[in-house]
Amino acid sequence: MEPVRMVLCLLSVFISLVSDRLVVLASFSQATDSDFTFSLPAGRKECFYQTMKKEASLEIEYQVLDGAGLDVDFSISSPSGQLLFSDQRKSDGVHTVETHEDGDYVFCFDNTFSSISEKLVFFELILDNMDQEEDPDNWKEHIIGTDSLDMKLEDIMDTINNVKSRLGKSVQIQTLLRAFEARDRNLQESNFDRVNFWSVVNLFVMMVVSAVQVYLVRLLFEDKRKIRT
Amino acid sequence: RNYVKMCSLPRFMLEVFLVNCCLGLVSSLYFHMTEGEQKCFIEEIPADTVVVGDYWTQLYDEQKREYLPATRNLTLSVAARTPTDELILSHKETKGRFNFTSFTSGEHKICLHDSVANYFNIGVTLQVVCMDIRSGERTNNYTEIQKRELLTQLQLRVRRLSAQVHDIHKELIYSRSREKNFLVINHNVNMWIYWWPIIRSVAGKITVKDQNRHLKTVDLN
Repeated sequence: MEPVRMVLCLLSVFISLVSDRLVVLASFSQATDSDFTFSLPAGRKECFYQTMKKEASLEIEYQVLDGAGLDVDFSISSPSGQLLFSDQRKSDGVHTVETHEDGDYVFCFDNTFSSISEKLVFFELILDNMDQEEDPDNWKEHIIGTDSLDMKLEDIMDTINNVKSRLGKSVQIQTLLRAFEARDRNLQESNFDRVNFWSVVNLFVMMVVSAVQVYLVRLLFEDKRKIRT
Repeated sequence: RNYVKMCSLPRFMLEVFLVNCCLGLVSSLYFHMTEGEQKCFIEEIPADTVVVGDYWTQLYDEQKREYLPATRNLTLSVAARTPTDELILSHKETKGRFNFTSFTSGEHKICLHDSVANYFNIGVTLQVVCMDIRSGERTNNYTEIQKRELLTQLQLRVRRLSAQVHDIHKELIYSRSREKNFLVINHNVNMWIYWWPIIRSVAGKITVKDQNRHLKTVDLN
């Protein structure tokens, strides 16, 4: 029982140590990208940290989708604390960071200038770790047969890689379009609410003012009558 | 006996995994959470889409600037809500995975809530949360699919491509329905802006006539 358990334990340690390699191979991706939409409460600053290796590139694209003014402060800092980019009260932006050091890159969205409006921020991170290249020789192991078949399989592989990268790009563009549309829709919905609200208030105020006018004029003339008699 | 102690598998895996997590796994984005704080993420997805999220947490001492060992059982509660604010998932665990399938298309809200019970030194420690949310085709476990259907590498690749295309197509259909909604809202705003001056002038006329009627009854003497 004990040696079995020990073997299982060592195996689990081994697996966990190589797990990152396995995951990379299993996910077939060179560039991993993730996008998040989060709500940034009024008067707060939210920071996100991304671990990066040297000689890689990090592209971040953000957009403010909802909230009065549709703007937010943005900044990126390197692991050593150096401020790389800073945007003041922009509604969207794109920045590419070429990493020169290993470590955690910090990017922050700042809504401290607004005390009442909560912002909805969308950001997309596109990472390109240049050292995780797919090994083309990996494919050669699965090719059995004549030379001409070798060439054909390479062609197929090239086409598939091509299609895959284009599909990846389409997904990115779709995400972006979705963010644009969400922003326009939120803007239009808030316009509608505002127009509705203020026109009803307008109507109400007009009626109240006319009633007050009538009352005051009546009061004026009734007083005169009282004084006379 | 030493090995048995080291091998309380879940906790040990957690420590080694955490070192790996923010270094090599699919997404290594992390953020801080303090006690009682709630962070919400919004996923806008079409109907019948699987959403899977992985998260790992660890306590961090700000003063000493070091990670605390994962001896305590930290709980992070995850709640997912539909566009109409119905709760479809409620989860309370230290590390792991949450998943749900969307019934309707729209903005789903995923909120992480940090409970005060995690902290024994409030104000100094905060929690580092490593999170990754994937939806649609990216939730598929391709190694499992390969094993289950006995596919070659090439076949698996093509399968992945077709899943990506399917996702893109679903998103396209969803974006068409969103555009229709947008046109409806736009139309409503335009109609309101168009008819409002007419409504206002009619209301103004009625008010003035009413006023006149009231004032005529005043005896001017």
